[in-house]
Amino acid sequence: MFLNKLINIARYPNNVNQLSNLFQRCLISSTPAAHNKLTVNKPLEFVDLKEGKDPVQNVNKKIQNSEAGRLFAVVQLCGKQFKITQGDVIMLEGFWEPTNGDQLRLEKVLLCGSQDFTLVGRPILQKGLVDIQATIIEKSLSHTRTHFKYKKRKQYRRINFQRSPTTVLRINSIEINNSVDQNEAQKPSDNVFF
Amino acid sequence: MVFLTALRLTRARGPDEWWRKRKVFKLAAFFYGRRRNCYSLAIRSLHRALVYATKSRALKKMDLIELWKQRISGGLESHGLEYWQFMDGLHKSNIQLNRKVLADLAAFEPATFESLSKIALDVKEAENDENSNKN
Repeated sequence: MFLNKLINIARYPNNVNQLSNLFQRCLISSTPAAHNKLTVNKPLEFVDLKEGKDPVQNVNKKIQNSEAGRLFAVVQLCGKQFKITQGDVIMLEGFWEPTNGDQLRLEKVLLCGSQDFTLVGRPILQKGLVDIQATIIEKSLSHTRTHFKYKKRKQYRRINFQRSPTTVLRINSIEINNSVDQNEAQKPSDNVFF
Repeated sequence: MVFLTALRLTRARGPDEWWRKRKVFKLAAFFYGRRRNCYSLAIRSLHRALVYATKSRALKKMDLIELWKQRISGGLESHGLEYWQFMDGLHKSNIQLNRKVLADLAAFEPATFESLSKIALDVKEAENDENSNKN
């Protein structure tokens, strides 16, 4: 269709001039103004501790001024790790107690990151630092898995059908509540089993 | 099913033939050539297909682990570390992120991934220092 239109236009030399002008204007300009529109992430800068810059203070300031922006986190749930952000929907497989509509706070946070900084847990972040709220939105069964064993010429044949319970979870919010390095007394490993 | 005599009960072989075969044909609907319409061929390839499906569920997990390994080492190429050095460094600093998450971070959170590789690099350098002190 587009080609046909081009051919129609190309029949008249006057139109061709207009068209080529149009294409010239469409060319990607390499002016600084055009570059400013693109958002390219800055390369990483590692802060040298010897210069008296304290990254912890820096991060704390960002948290207090709520400049952290949208956060992502890595949590462990039912033996699996998920990288999540606000509004995500994740599916867990296998039996899990919570039922529909339950509000949960996810506490095994292995990592929490924002645009400017990343908090890495060893192995998890201290309790109460990152607040992740989640709601259970669906409890159902997975698709049917056919477990079929067969040996030829041996009259051996077993067939089983299996469906495992699944839970669908929505992540409502991820927030940093405390400042980093504050509640040192309350270590995460006190109450959590791995 | 209603049986008027015991003899008929012993002779009856399960549900009606047409329904029994229909189950197989439904599963074999996407097979190639006569395997999709001809029962004796369909059942043969269906058995094989179901066995493959069962076995591949374990293989899929192994394949994914390989894929994550490749993605992590691909991400590490620009940070001057090898896969085993990176994993070793994280393990020694008690960071228990698994390969799935690390591959995700390598692809979508390059800044976080670079800081993790920095941690692993620090562990490696500290070990090198210790070794040189011993010597």
